[in-house]
Amino acid sequence: MSFSTIDELETGLREADYLPDRGLATALFLSLALEKPLLLEGEAGVGKTEAGKALARALGARLIRLQCYEGLDVSHAVYEWNYPRQLLHIRAAQEGTVSEDELFGPEFLIRRPLLEAIDSDEQTVLLIDEVDRADEEFEAFLLEALSDFQITIPELGTIRARRKPAVVLTSNRTRELHDALKRRTLFHWIGHPSLEREVEIVRLRVPGIPARLAEEAAAFVRGLRGLDLAKPPGVAETIDWAHALAALGREEIDAEVVEQTLGSVLKYREDIETVRDETLAGLVEEARATAGR
Amino acid sequence: MQGTAIVRHVVTFGRVLREVGIEVGPGRVVDAVRGLGTVDLTRQEDVYFTLRQTLVSRQDELELFDRAFAAWFLRGPVAPLVRQQNRRHAARVVRGSFTTEREEVEREPGDERVELGASSHELLREKDFAEMSPEEFERCRFLMAAIARARPRRTSRRRAPDPRGDRLDLRRLVRRSLRTGGDPFEQAWKARKVVPRKLVVLCDASGSMDAYSRALLLFLHAVVGTGRGVEAFGFGTRLTRLTPDLATRDPEAALARATATAIDWGSGTRIGVSLKEFNDVYGRRGLSRGAVVVIVSDGWDRDDPALLTREMARIARAAYAVVWVNPLKGNPEYQPLAGGMRAALPFVDRFLPGHNLRSLEELAAVLAGIERRHAA
Repeated sequence: MSFSTIDELETGLREADYLPDRGLATALFLSLALEKPLLLEGEAGVGKTEAGKALARALGARLIRLQCYEGLDVSHAVYEWNYPRQLLHIRAAQEGTVSEDELFGPEFLIRRPLLEAIDSDEQTVLLIDEVDRADEEFEAFLLEALSDFQITIPELGTIRARRKPAVVLTSNRTRELHDALKRRTLFHWIGHPSLEREVEIVRLRVPGIPARLAEEAAAFVRGLRGLDLAKPPGVAETIDWAHALAALGREEIDAEVVEQTLGSVLKYREDIETVRDETLAGLVEEARATAGR
Repeated sequence: MQGTAIVRHVVTFGRVLREVGIEVGPGRVVDAVRGLGTVDLTRQEDVYFTLRQTLVSRQDELELFDRAFAAWFLRGPVAPLVRQQNRRHAARVVRGSFTTEREEVEREPGDERVELGASSHELLREKDFAEMSPEEFERCRFLMAAIARARPRRTSRRRAPDPRGDRLDLRRLVRRSLRTGGDPFEQAWKARKVVPRKLVVLCDASGSMDAYSRALLLFLHAVVGTGRGVEAFGFGTRLTRLTPDLATRDPEAALARATATAIDWGSGTRIGVSLKEFNDVYGRRGLSRGAVVVIVSDGWDRDDPALLTREMARIARAAYAVVWVNPLKGNPEYQPLAGGMRAALPFVDRFLPGHNLRSLEELAAVLAGIERRHAA
């Protein structure tokens, strides 16, 4: 599957159950058109990871995901040798007959996500998730892999991509990424969606939810984001909450049900207390008024 | 638009961006031109995002970009772009105040120990920063760099070859086994590396700390110079991130830039509000998680202590350890009576003075061997 305009890609993503705003659609489109990795940043829960997955669905491409964490190294991200097999092979072949070339050949290689994506003949989307969690040593590997789409394995030589993967990186900005990495990527900041879009997202992700409930839930969460909270809720929280409300069989929200279910929207005790103490009833009224318009 | 017209447009726009302080390399301009070649140029929104996504790589530059875009492509009336100008002006002012004794103190790095006699060295170590002459202050800089090198450490999840390690290094083991027909006689081990722990320094730069803020800025510069994983902030009525400004080799220029960035240098103090900003903007994305957080302040907060209590609790929950450095503690008579200080102390693991070089040494020693004390 390929897309020749932003509109086409937008439609493709919609059909893959993802509603991007124009900026994100443009970013994904440019990333494909220019064959450059795309770095997505934004508050937690705005749908960064989901964007990568949706791109794979829209393209009909295979999704290869690399979840980053501290200490992630080449043997978990790129490749590793199959040591038990190697040792067995040495023993089976009897003394002195095994050469190093034989032992470090492709049949003893375990492919990890980066190598998998680069050494693939089918179209792939490589999702490098939470890249800011990996350490800086790892960024150096990424840099080589993403600038030339090639990987060097000392024992085997350099492997070049025959078909460049589409690459989406996400970051929560727990630290600033290296400039060299940023120079090689397109950058898009995902903000919270508009009210209309969020209602649309909720209705898409919570099938069968009453229209009125979707609107009120989205409006209420939007109101929460205007408050002074330690962790304002993202779209993911809106969806969770809408699920909970729909499961309770609600058609609308009121102060009581909001109070009962607040834990699926707000994840910090102080935040829950802040909202309970001062603003809950008022926020509910406001949300109902906004949705009624 | 014709092809060459687009190129000219984008190149010029790149220059506009550079002028407002956004770094735009030639590679990015090429991407922008290529990108514009693939989108519908009659849709303003698409042109905007194409330029933004190819030319900007940091969220905090988006606002500057938007203004430049409005000014350049939309020709709208916008506020003047003044960031660079202000910086240059401030740099001049600060440089002036720091170069009074320059001739006397310019010497080769490494000379300082020879020049400082043992006794003058001792005196300097004990002297309160507020009472130092500019010349004495300059000499302090060299000593601070040495103090700052002590960083708290932690065990990394990454392993490196180590004969006393706790895990087999299979890759090396297989290679060695080749020689012995597959029998792993010669074992290879690896162990977790020890790496510097993240360090976050929050430095009060308000009027009540004026005498110490210069000294602490120099200290901050030396700390940031020790390498990765250090974040430095200044605060007064609001918070300013100083890391990029202090991360240069030249302390004088770094000081000038840091001072220019923290425009409220020398006005009142709002510690609670500043810490809240830190938690909201940086803590939320995990900057303080697992870090040693050092707060340098006299604890005079003009706001409600309840806010400070709340924000200190947030810091303490995320941080590995919290250190509070208060220059007033250098006075033996000192009691933490200031409302802000009293509100903060329950969340502090170590409470130290920071009024002279000796106390900075103490701070460095604490940082090097720090252990988590607070329950969390």
